[in-house]
Amino acid sequence: MAEISRVRTVSIITFLIALLIGAFVLALSLGPTTVPFSEFIPDDLLGMLGTLVTGGDIAEFFPDQTSYLIVYSIRLPRVIAAVLVGAGLAAAGCAMQGLFRNSMADPYIIGTSSGGAFGAAFTIVFMGGLFLPVFAFFGAIGSTFLVYAIATRHGRAPVETLLLTGIAISMFFSSILSFLMYSAGNSLHQIVFWLMGGLWNVSWNDVWLGLLIPVCGILLIALARDLNILSLGEEDALHLGVNVEQFKRILLFLSSAVTAVAVSIAGSIGFIGLITPHVIRLIVGPDHRILFPASMLAGGLFLLTADTITRSFLGEMPVGVITSFVGAPFFIMLLRRRMQA
Amino acid sequence: MIDIDDLCAGYGGEDIIREITFGAEKGEFIGIIGPNGSGKTTLLKAISRVLETSGGVVTLEGRALSDFGQKELARKMSVVPQETAMNFSYTVADIVMMGRFPYKERFAKEDAEDYRIVREAMEVTNVAHLADRAVTDISGGERQRVIIARALAQQPKVLLLDEATAHLDINHQVEILSIVRDLGDTVTKIGVFHDLNLAAEFCDRIVLMAEGRVRAIGTPAEVLTVEHLQNEYGITAMVQTNPVTGRPLIMPLSEGVPSDLQGARIHIISGGGTGAGLMYTLVAAGCTLSAGVLSPMDSDYAAALRLGIPCITVPAFAPITNAVSDAFETYLDEADAIILTAMPIGIGNLLNVHAVSGSRRSRLVLYQPPGEEFTDYTEAGDMSFLAPIRDAKCPVVSSRHGLYKAIRSLVKT
Repeated sequence: MAEISRVRTVSIITFLIALLIGAFVLALSLGPTTVPFSEFIPDDLLGMLGTLVTGGDIAEFFPDQTSYLIVYSIRLPRVIAAVLVGAGLAAAGCAMQGLFRNSMADPYIIGTSSGGAFGAAFTIVFMGGLFLPVFAFFGAIGSTFLVYAIATRHGRAPVETLLLTGIAISMFFSSILSFLMYSAGNSLHQIVFWLMGGLWNVSWNDVWLGLLIPVCGILLIALARDLNILSLGEEDALHLGVNVEQFKRILLFLSSAVTAVAVSIAGSIGFIGLITPHVIRLIVGPDHRILFPASMLAGGLFLLTADTITRSFLGEMPVGVITSFVGAPFFIMLLRRRMQA
Repeated sequence: MIDIDDLCAGYGGEDIIREITFGAEKGEFIGIIGPNGSGKTTLLKAISRVLETSGGVVTLEGRALSDFGQKELARKMSVVPQETAMNFSYTVADIVMMGRFPYKERFAKEDAEDYRIVREAMEVTNVAHLADRAVTDISGGERQRVIIARALAQQPKVLLLDEATAHLDINHQVEILSIVRDLGDTVTKIGVFHDLNLAAEFCDRIVLMAEGRVRAIGTPAEVLTVEHLQNEYGITAMVQTNPVTGRPLIMPLSEGVPSDLQGARIHIISGGGTGAGLMYTLVAAGCTLSAGVLSPMDSDYAAALRLGIPCITVPAFAPITNAVSDAFETYLDEADAIILTAMPIGIGNLLNVHAVSGSRRSRLVLYQPPGEEFTDYTEAGDMSFLAPIRDAKCPVVSSRHGLYKAIRSLVKT
């Protein structure tokens, strides 16, 4: 049995990786102008990668400079960012669902997105949107720390208290956000767009920031066995040898960092962090050692697909609209099926 | 093995348990009992380090428990909680394998040894056939066995059980506690029990707690006494001996207890089981009872013994000595009311009736429930022993209600 499930797991992960690579290449080709594969995959692919690594100019490998610019300066960072943000939200969702022992939890549950939204709206209203990603990042991570600090007493932060504090802090920041929107005047649409979430103005700088996501993701995978045990409950975890409070701090830090990075790159995109781990758990089971990597791959794939669709066919509609539009009915379908079972 | 010394702990700076001291030998099964709020579970949480202690120390094999690292502790001690909520569909084998967590380095894979230990643990608790099932799909009794298997996979020296069978049917309770008891001498077991009879059946020793303190420690027979149950649980109970296992067997008494007879001194003259029921009720009502004279073969005597009622006894066919007679008469004279139950009278117990003479008759009540009557097995054979009592116009009652009323009026005067 153990062997069968290992084979199954490896094939699912391999399948997801293959799908992601396929979607990745396709996404580079698709867009308002379709670029044929031959124009952005040079014949001498290895030579180009070698030049890239040594820091040389790779433009000469491409016959059509316009296509080269479209793919490598505009689409590539955006495609990479979509994968990273999707993977990050899925990983953070996974971590929160495990921590709260509830498959309805999402990365935003402890106030991360409303904190980020507050940060973004603040700079949009008062500073003309200057340093928006920075404000969003610190708003997101700051609200998580605030929640943790409020929920902690005598060095312990019970998950129930964390959850309730998260809800309270979310509501608090949402009310400030509403006030900012009310008094935003001309910049209101900018806030609204940001809230819907999207990747239209992603640059290479966002990608460099986004590289924090796989780093945190790998750390989360390293903690997967502990999270498995924590998902049985805090006392059980303690009896099985998990240093629960320390572990929760690390887990909250990593997942809120991932979420904050994702939010600062793409705004608060809904449903990916909720639905991806949920669906993947139905396929691979609850073991976080598999659930984390599989969810990250699937989350990346989901956001990349949604972003490619909006970019190519829907005239840059904010991608958060699509993820929620597709995600919500899908989620309801899952719920209905579970109710029947 | 494990020693608890002067342990104090509680919540929010207020101690719930105070000065708890006891030890458990290697392989022993200790039961912790006590009424709700007595601190049983708090004690278990303090031992398992879920709760910080405010005083005292727990030592395991001579080393303070607080010195252990979290994983190190999990290799020595495992805990079976009352209930484990299962929100994710891990397989049974996955859950049991989690018991190996304290033995694994972060990136170490489970090896053949781990699989062997997990398999063995599942076999001991009889869940091996469920290995690939999801824990969310099995019954409560099976799930609890899985949790015990997980606890065993930790290869603990000490196994703590927090009312581990409280939510299960009686068959699963017995099954699970048998598994725990039969773990042998390598594992010391400490369990909180709600059910006193289960504690009596399975534990080697019992710790009785009340109001956060230890009130009694000893074998089940030493701890589960009528007095302890009365004092700590506030119940009147009958303590018998389980004829199969020789362990105490407790039956709480609840049926119709009059509330206003507290403190009344009553002597019961009965025999052949005619007084046993009365004894239970009147003890429950808070009366101070005495009984006799009874033969040790009499079931009324057994009842008096179980209830801790002082009883004048004389072996059957043995003559009544002066000392016995004096003691009997003292009881009769001190009683507010004397109850004589309808029963067969022969030469063996004729003296009982004759002793109720003179002024004692003013405090006598004849209790003659439907279906019971006096029969005369004496030489005279004509019920003449009752004549002086009838002449004294002692009240004759046939119902419990009438009896309580008669006692009430006697107590008043």
